[in-house]
Amino acid sequence: MATEHESAKYHVTGEAIYVDDMQVSEQLLYGKVVYSPHAHARILSYDINKALTIDGVHAILTYKDIPGENQMGPVFHDEVVLAEDEVIFIGQAIFLIAAENKDIAEEAAKTIIIKYEVLPHVVTMEDAMKSGRLVQPQRKIENGNVDAARQEAANILNGELKTGAQEQWYLETQVALAHPGEGQELKVYSSTQHPSETQALIAEVLDIHKMEVEVEIRRMGGAFGGKETQANHTAIWASLLAVKTGKPVKICLGRDDDQIMTGKRHRFLMRYEAGFTDDGLITYMDVEQNADAGSSTDLSMAILERAMMHAENAYYVPNIRIIGNAWFTNLPSNTAFRGFGGPQGMVVIEEIIDRIARKLGKDARELRKLNFYGIDERNEAPYGQIVENTLLHTLYDQLLETSEYEKRREEINAFNAENEFIKRGMALSPVKFGISFTTSLLNQAGALAHIYKDGSVLINHGGTEMGQGLHTKIKDLAADELGLDPEQVKVNATSTAKVPNTSATAASAGADLNGMAVKNALDKLKRRIANSICDDFNKESTVQSKPEEIEFKGGKVFDSSNTDRSMDFAESIMKAYLNQVSLSATGYYKTPDIHFDREIGKGQPYYYYAYSMAVTEVEVDTLTGHYTNIRTDILHDVGNSLNTRVDIGQIEGGYIQGVGWCTTEECKWDKNGNLLNYSPDTYKIPNIQDIPKDFRINLLEGHPNGAKTIRRSKAVGEPPLMGALSCWLAIKDAVSAAGNHQIEPDFSLPATNEVILLSLDKIHRKLKSSE
Amino acid sequence: MSTNNQITFVLNDELVNLNFSDQFGETPITTVLNYLRSRPGYAGSKEGCAEGDCGACTVVIGSLSDGQISYTAIDACLVFLPMLHGKQLLTVEHLGNSSHLHPVQSAMVETDGSQCGYCTPGFVMSLLALYKNYNNPSREVINDALTGNLCRCTGYRSIAEAAAISCANDGQDQFTARESDTAKLLASIDSSSIYIDTKKHVYFRPESLAETLDIKKEYPNILVINGATDIALRVTKLKEHLPEILDLGNVAELKEVKESEGAIHIGAGVVLEHMKTLVQDQFPALYDMLAVFGSKQIRELATLGGNIGSASPIGDIPPVLMAYNALIVLVGSDGERVIPMREFITGYRKTQQANDEIIKSVTLPLAEDNCKVQSYKISKRKDLDISTVSGGFSVTLGQDGQVTDVCLAYGGMADQIKRAAKTEAALIGKPWNRDSIEAATNLIDEDFKPISDARAEAEGRTVMARNLLMKFWSDTI
Repeated sequence: MATEHESAKYHVTGEAIYVDDMQVSEQLLYGKVVYSPHAHARILSYDINKALTIDGVHAILTYKDIPGENQMGPVFHDEVVLAEDEVIFIGQAIFLIAAENKDIAEEAAKTIIIKYEVLPHVVTMEDAMKSGRLVQPQRKIENGNVDAARQEAANILNGELKTGAQEQWYLETQVALAHPGEGQELKVYSSTQHPSETQALIAEVLDIHKMEVEVEIRRMGGAFGGKETQANHTAIWASLLAVKTGKPVKICLGRDDDQIMTGKRHRFLMRYEAGFTDDGLITYMDVEQNADAGSSTDLSMAILERAMMHAENAYYVPNIRIIGNAWFTNLPSNTAFRGFGGPQGMVVIEEIIDRIARKLGKDARELRKLNFYGIDERNEAPYGQIVENTLLHTLYDQLLETSEYEKRREEINAFNAENEFIKRGMALSPVKFGISFTTSLLNQAGALAHIYKDGSVLINHGGTEMGQGLHTKIKDLAADELGLDPEQVKVNATSTAKVPNTSATAASAGADLNGMAVKNALDKLKRRIANSICDDFNKESTVQSKPEEIEFKGGKVFDSSNTDRSMDFAESIMKAYLNQVSLSATGYYKTPDIHFDREIGKGQPYYYYAYSMAVTEVEVDTLTGHYTNIRTDILHDVGNSLNTRVDIGQIEGGYIQGVGWCTTEECKWDKNGNLLNYSPDTYKIPNIQDIPKDFRINLLEGHPNGAKTIRRSKAVGEPPLMGALSCWLAIKDAVSAAGNHQIEPDFSLPATNEVILLSLDKIHRKLKSSE
Repeated sequence: MSTNNQITFVLNDELVNLNFSDQFGETPITTVLNYLRSRPGYAGSKEGCAEGDCGACTVVIGSLSDGQISYTAIDACLVFLPMLHGKQLLTVEHLGNSSHLHPVQSAMVETDGSQCGYCTPGFVMSLLALYKNYNNPSREVINDALTGNLCRCTGYRSIAEAAAISCANDGQDQFTARESDTAKLLASIDSSSIYIDTKKHVYFRPESLAETLDIKKEYPNILVINGATDIALRVTKLKEHLPEILDLGNVAELKEVKESEGAIHIGAGVVLEHMKTLVQDQFPALYDMLAVFGSKQIRELATLGGNIGSASPIGDIPPVLMAYNALIVLVGSDGERVIPMREFITGYRKTQQANDEIIKSVTLPLAEDNCKVQSYKISKRKDLDISTVSGGFSVTLGQDGQVTDVCLAYGGMADQIKRAAKTEAALIGKPWNRDSIEAATNLIDEDFKPISDARAEAEGRTVMARNLLMKFWSDTI
């Protein structure tokens, strides 16, 4: 299928309604969060009395006003809703203000006086690792015998690699609107990827039953993981104020506050060692992954787990040991971001192969191919899962040809020989991404489908729409299952009152899980309708139609073995209604055959793998450090695509978002723990000038998913992001060309122009000293 | 000047009178974005950053000139309401609805130019301005029109494609059909001075220089704005009240552009997008810098005077003006005086401008044939970013090929735009060759002790400054 985004017409006209756009009664109050200016301090005293007297201020809450638990940690309960006597990061909420307008709320915030005793804090990765303070116990995944392999290794290299934090930079900042109802009822419109968890935490904080809290989200203005757990905060704060004041309360974080207060993609510091043969075959890898968890656990352990499970990326490493540490720092708790640890996990082995290639004087793409997972052998992942149906070799062969890799490599070499200050570089990088939540029980989904008497269909499911096109895919799928046009189907806003106990829309699994759940609901309805119309067809007739032979196609419902027996879909629905048949059904799905034992680091955590491969060519101005992406070719595996237009959009957007992480997006903190890049003034996501001059995306054809997913499709949300490693490696290749590929560039991620220029400066110094 | 406390503008096709006397309504420093979003039915324009960096709030302004309406995209979050006086304001709501799409909207649907949709209304409005001004624009023109809009979902390819396929109708649409009616409405608005005095704010928007100077004399500490793309952030980010504002945006004399023998004189009120076209042929180094200055939405608001007057150590234009040896014309109650740009800035955000003076214009002398001028800007992102290090460089070579004059003005290397004095001195009398340059770059470390900040560390800045000199040499041989 290839339909447009189900909301495209609303997007382009401004008719699409986001939480901050909702029309609310004049009683609406604006919520404001007063947060800590210190990375670590004791609150000695505070005075909110003056602020409370300001005309238009309706409430100021402290942790003492929380009716239930002062906890909002999603997995581990180690994160307070409002600080008590200690603050542990800059941006930590202390007070909540509700006022009649934003200006009054700001004025009240300025009037609150807080006295602190500043305490020692930890901001850098190095200090965090020295402190010895992990947020949760260390994790390990091991396979083969690393120590024995080290003894036998022909060549060994080791190193350290740092990757930077990345701000999700959803265009729509965190926002929630809480509307009190009768009794304890509360309806909360929250820009959340995980309505069920938002609902659960609100209930716990308010000490009420979950049945009293309905969380609804029609659409988010982007999320990218940043609203998987941390949307809960804003929703909880708005709910507290709404319950206290009895009025609707909206909190919409300003951009600066959003960047200061919320977590980012985890910074990592990785130490690695690898052995390889003289041909460049990796014989062992020993990696220590150190993640900056921030001031609480949040999703850090799941993210670290995915980083560890992607440490080998697309390559078979017979002897491997991956140690994972999530360190405490006095920063906002780092959280989910598209890729969820995968990018940090993969970059190390990509760096290792890049270095081996430079040492051996080979093109790195040859060594990538050499080390790929095998098809029938060399196919056991470090955590014991057999990597089946590998498409790496298929992608590689096709992409090498369509990207004209060999020819361009020669052109690049010739160009670099002739140009001193401008250098070109190119790299190919693969992605093998495991699909499923590694916490296996989360792989479940629910749906609720209604068919109304006019034949129109309303689908509810547990997934949320953040722009990724989930509702588009579901709508198309539901229409196709029922033999209708997509216009006859509507996907409803996601609501905890419609589908309960859902998992986050995350891990790229939205369509896999919810698509199956919706199909399950529709299968039930189709069976009921088939039974109903067979009763009608067969009445006073000797020819018996069988329900299992009834088909739904082209707006008709008919007996496939007796096509004269046919009626419009709407007519079949009216008949079913008249026959007193229920036209509403729930659906459910859980992913089969997956399990993982954290204690021993073994199992079958993934239902399948999604594959991608990218070739990027760049040109670097070695005097300014500015680079131009000349051309990017991506060949991507989505199995049988559910919607090619949506999928191509995901691939392009994911790649560019990854390029941001690899190049211009930099988070820096001063020694006091203040984030320096807290607005788009200094935090630079890619803009239109940064995209490849020539951008070629292709979907791999003829390879339906080997696993029994919905229509044999594959997840597409996260995998494309990591194709951007080809851009990072291409820049490194161009820098390396300045030293004629004889000197290993000193590199880190993101490769900002500062990193590029300092790396080049070192190369030039080395060249000079060797003259 | 009498208090009128009121502004008038055309919202799509309707005249709107806004009175600031109502204490519960808008203030003179309410931004156009906040005004729109507080009205029912105008939630299409989004706030993504409140600082003009994301473009989610982009709206189109129609301006009447010689009976014709010209359309420009601007960031609504940076515009105070009085700046709308006498203009037409178009928002995404005015283009079409989901049953009847404008060509730029249907192209966005067709190419899958939206995913989450939050940035989309802003893109649509930038596309509208492009649609009205260009037919079959090149990719370069498209990119320039969309540089001021950030999208986190799509990767932009689809949006660029939407621009290419939609902008092929000579800009014809419903606005064209109504243009003469709109022009009549705009012409009916009294475009003379505005004087708003509520109890909390005074806001002047005079139409003449004489009035401006009178106000400046009466209110010596009044905040002068000339585009306000920088000052607006004091409202949107720092939540300041800005009780006294003198807005130079309507002063006719400041918009003047004159040419004389060997020089061009550009009024301080000329917006940078217009200035870009003025200098394209004769001052290419200035053009290059303007091409990477902010975004089109910013350049339609920001003025030459504003960029010079703010005297930011990372201002983009002053180093280039220094390289061209431009002259700043100040005007005050005692008349005019002329100060070379190279001497104008005296410290961190300090200039020679006296309290009763304003910047009137800039005189740009044409470079001599034997003088080479270049400009450079290193920023984390190439476009719509603030300089990490910038340079405006000129070198004059004698007949023997030796350096007779050199100006190396750097931004981002000190607490003000500053010339590399020692490096310059070392180059005088030397041949313009690699050895001279390599020797001179070593002196950059002596000329500057830059800071470390969000954009780069001191070490990185020093390497950048050295490199730019090398780049200047390699570009001028």
